[in-house]
Amino acid sequence: MSATAVLTFEGAAFTHPGGDGVSDLDFAIAPGEAVALIGPNGAGKSTLLRGVLGLVPLTRGRMTFGRRVAAGTEAGATGATGAAADGTHADRGMVGFLPQTMEFDVDFPISLEQVVMQGRYRRLGLLRWPGRADRAAVRHALETVGLTEFAAKRFGSLSGGQRQRGLLARALAADPSLLLLDEPFNGLDQPNRDALVATLRRLKAEGVAVLVSTHDLELAREVCDRVLLVNGRQTAFGPVSDALTLSNVQRCFEGVEVEIDEHTLVVPGHEGH
Amino acid sequence: MSPADALFGAFSLPFMWRALVVMLVLSVIAGVVGVLVNLRSLEFITDGLTHAVFPGLAVGLAVGGASGVLPGAAVAALIGAVLLTWLMRSGIASDAGIAVVLTAAFSVGVIVVSKSDDYAGALETLLFGRVLTIPPSDVVPLVVVSAIALLLVALTAKQQVFRAFDAAGSRAAGNSAFALDLTLNVAVALVVVAGASTVGSLLVLALLVVPGAVARLLTGRLWLLFPLAGVFAALASWFGLAAGFAASVGAGIDLPAGSTIVAVFVVAYGVVLVGRLIRDAAVRRAQGRPTAPGEAKSSVAASGEGAA
Repeated sequence: MSATAVLTFEGAAFTHPGGDGVSDLDFAIAPGEAVALIGPNGAGKSTLLRGVLGLVPLTRGRMTFGRRVAAGTEAGATGATGAAADGTHADRGMVGFLPQTMEFDVDFPISLEQVVMQGRYRRLGLLRWPGRADRAAVRHALETVGLTEFAAKRFGSLSGGQRQRGLLARALAADPSLLLLDEPFNGLDQPNRDALVATLRRLKAEGVAVLVSTHDLELAREVCDRVLLVNGRQTAFGPVSDALTLSNVQRCFEGVEVEIDEHTLVVPGHEGH
Repeated sequence: MSPADALFGAFSLPFMWRALVVMLVLSVIAGVVGVLVNLRSLEFITDGLTHAVFPGLAVGLAVGGASGVLPGAAVAALIGAVLLTWLMRSGIASDAGIAVVLTAAFSVGVIVVSKSDDYAGALETLLFGRVLTIPPSDVVPLVVVSAIALLLVALTAKQQVFRAFDAAGSRAAGNSAFALDLTLNVAVALVVVAGASTVGSLLVLALLVVPGAVARLLTGRLWLLFPLAGVFAALASWFGLAAGFAASVGAGIDLPAGSTIVAVFVVAYGVVLVGRLIRDAAVRRAQGRPTAPGEAKSSVAASGEGAA
């Protein structure tokens, strides 16, 4: 695959200890490119995102992120060497992650800017405390999502949309080369949705690679260059115009009645947009 | 006896001065560690650790006499911390699992103590401490044990707070939940070890829980919690020792020192709690809303409907 790709999969599979997971992953994301991750509920979209973060074991194939290479651990798998890394701690690429939901105590005494600063912790490591550069990154991330004036507010006192933008700012504060977003448009009103689309466009222009799971085909067309269809395994991958066809989507959502028009994927029982 | 005599003069006595030094070090560190206990809601696990340490104290006393208490407690604390961390991780963790561990440990401790010559005296020392009769040779080990606990928490404080706020996010950012939990539990266990030989294994829980709770009442600012808990713990320990001294020497009422200190902690918590409730009520009156801040939105909506 392309040597310049931020994230590359070659015949990879992520498997939960329970046995289910997502397999046959063969795709790459280049800098400044956005890939829409589409599939029915339970298709393994979150598993794939969590797998990139190292939270679900890579059992087959290879995943290359920046200069880090991970190989599947399953016996008999090609190149089953466990995890091999040639990158040192310093040249580790950063991943930003926006979870679908977050459980937290609304009374937790933490301000928005302190939450955003958590995005810097991985860079700081165990011993260092935030410095000038980190505070600047936090300010910049808050500016990007339009929450500058809420910096000192308690996180629990923010509205749902503001919290989500705050968590996006936390993901951005890491200065990531790869941004993972899990259903970021669920439950967003139109202004917040537009703001998120604008933010994603700006990040792409800055060279950030984006992998975003969504039911929203309009979004896929608006900001994504390629789509990745999964249903327990990869069923299609390619440019939006080639891969996002009715037959591909029907095959991916097998057994589910699918309607597709210019803007919307209609899947019964889904909170589609 | 004047208040000044109790608060300052009393500590010119060597045993009082020694008690003050040990209590200040211990309570300030317990307060700082306790902020994380509070943010993680680990109060019950902490209670489990105080009980898990008890058989270590008892075995240490039986084997090595008074000087065996600290090493015995340290070994038991480390075993207890690893065991409880593993229970938390495996999902068995539940309160039932902790309750089984803590009562089992405690009964073992009592059985061991019951074999000693001075059953009642030994049990009282282990349960309620001997803050006024700490041997000078114990001061340095106590300070060292406490300092290790502080170091463990200081090194991981950012990540501990991150995990307390957003456990899934902390894991996604590459932090090991097991390593963080083990570090915090070992820190708590070391505070329990140091506290068990001063205020006793039962009352050390107050040192770990009360200052953090007080700090939560006093401020909503994250990094202010730690110094506030430490300052509160130091003041309460000082006043507690002074109050015990004044009652015993001045008024002839013999109060156990450890229990008096803990009583001051709890009374001070009550005062801060009442102050907070009064302040919240005043804030609400100033805003002209008869509801708590969290309910403000729904009350606005309801009154809007009424007006329509």
